[in-house]
Amino acid sequence: MFIFNGYSWDEWVTNDRLLKLTEENIRKQQELEKSQSADKSVKSGRSSQHKPKGSNDAKTDKEDTKSLVKGKKRKSQPGVTEEKERKSSESLFMSHFPSTLKKQLVDDWEFVTQLGKVVKLPRSPTVDDILAKYLEHRTKKDNKINDSYAEILKGLRCYFDKALPAMLLYKKERQQYSEEVKGDVSPSTIYGAEHLLRLFVKLPELLASVNMEEDALNKLQQKLLDILKFLQKNQNSFFLSAYDSGSKGTDGIKAK
Amino acid sequence: MEAPADEEQEGISAQSPAQAPLSSASSLPKEQSQVELELRVLQALEFYPPSKLKGIHRHFVLYGLMEYLRKSLDRQFSADEVLQLLDRFFNLEMLKPEDDDKDNLTQAEEFSLPESFFNKDD
Repeated sequence: MFIFNGYSWDEWVTNDRLLKLTEENIRKQQELEKSQSADKSVKSGRSSQHKPKGSNDAKTDKEDTKSLVKGKKRKSQPGVTEEKERKSSESLFMSHFPSTLKKQLVDDWEFVTQLGKVVKLPRSPTVDDILAKYLEHRTKKDNKINDSYAEILKGLRCYFDKALPAMLLYKKERQQYSEEVKGDVSPSTIYGAEHLLRLFVKLPELLASVNMEEDALNKLQQKLLDILKFLQKNQNSFFLSAYDSGSKGTDGIKAK
Repeated sequence: MEAPADEEQEGISAQSPAQAPLSSASSLPKEQSQVELELRVLQALEFYPPSKLKGIHRHFVLYGLMEYLRKSLDRQFSADEVLQLLDRFFNLEMLKPEDDDKDNLTQAEEFSLPESFFNKDD
């Protein structure tokens, strides 16, 4: 389950905690890796790949989150860099990212950056469609309209429209973007699950600016992960399995 | 019960005589809960400055406010309700978006996947 149990991406805020928890985490991670050595040792040197950000070492396993020392409520801590907070928040969220969606992103990376392909636009379902479907799903499940989810989904759409050209595109997709998204057109009406998924990768970074209070942040994370699970459940229908090989304009030759 | 905005900005007074008719016996609990409500809103704004209610983060800021109030007053708050409450203190239309320039969104950067995505087991 995606329960953060008082451990949040702000737990690292206190300077004196930072070192303690890092040492603890390294120990715990090593213990866990031993006990799960059948699976994990195949990917060798996992712990060695973690950069010494000081915060991310134990995030790879759900068990770790529960066993970590629960901290006090966060208060704003002067003197701790936002950079550290941002990095720790990213790693925590990433550790709960569904693995098939991670694979989807790796495939996506390969299609675009290695094979020079692009997603065929416009997509169906679009980001707008997908978010609406999720709200529908949520409403059915809860048997009522959930205001929190509604607001979060609005927030995601808002982020998507701004973030797409700013941080969600690979270089090779720039040309297509300038061709497909002109004037007033919202990216959320053109792009689909592939790019929405990339937004989720950037969410911790974006949300760091909100400076959210700990409890609300925990709840938000749970809801965001629920949305990811929805994407995962519908992975076959939402995501493309094949991309176009360089659409009309990418080689400088326009079809129209 | 509309409180004039300039009254409230100075700070919360224990009594808000301008709000409820004093003759009504049932108005006292109403006043107290109204005061508590406004107090909580102002507390919440410590975390969520109103200036962020206009930029791209506004929905998440609003979400944070909704959650804060829900937690401290033990009932659901809709987004509209929260906005109405805020409207007592601030002329929301006059707010200028503050943070859009400071976000990483003015210069385009290429998307990149975190390294850990490539190393996952499957």
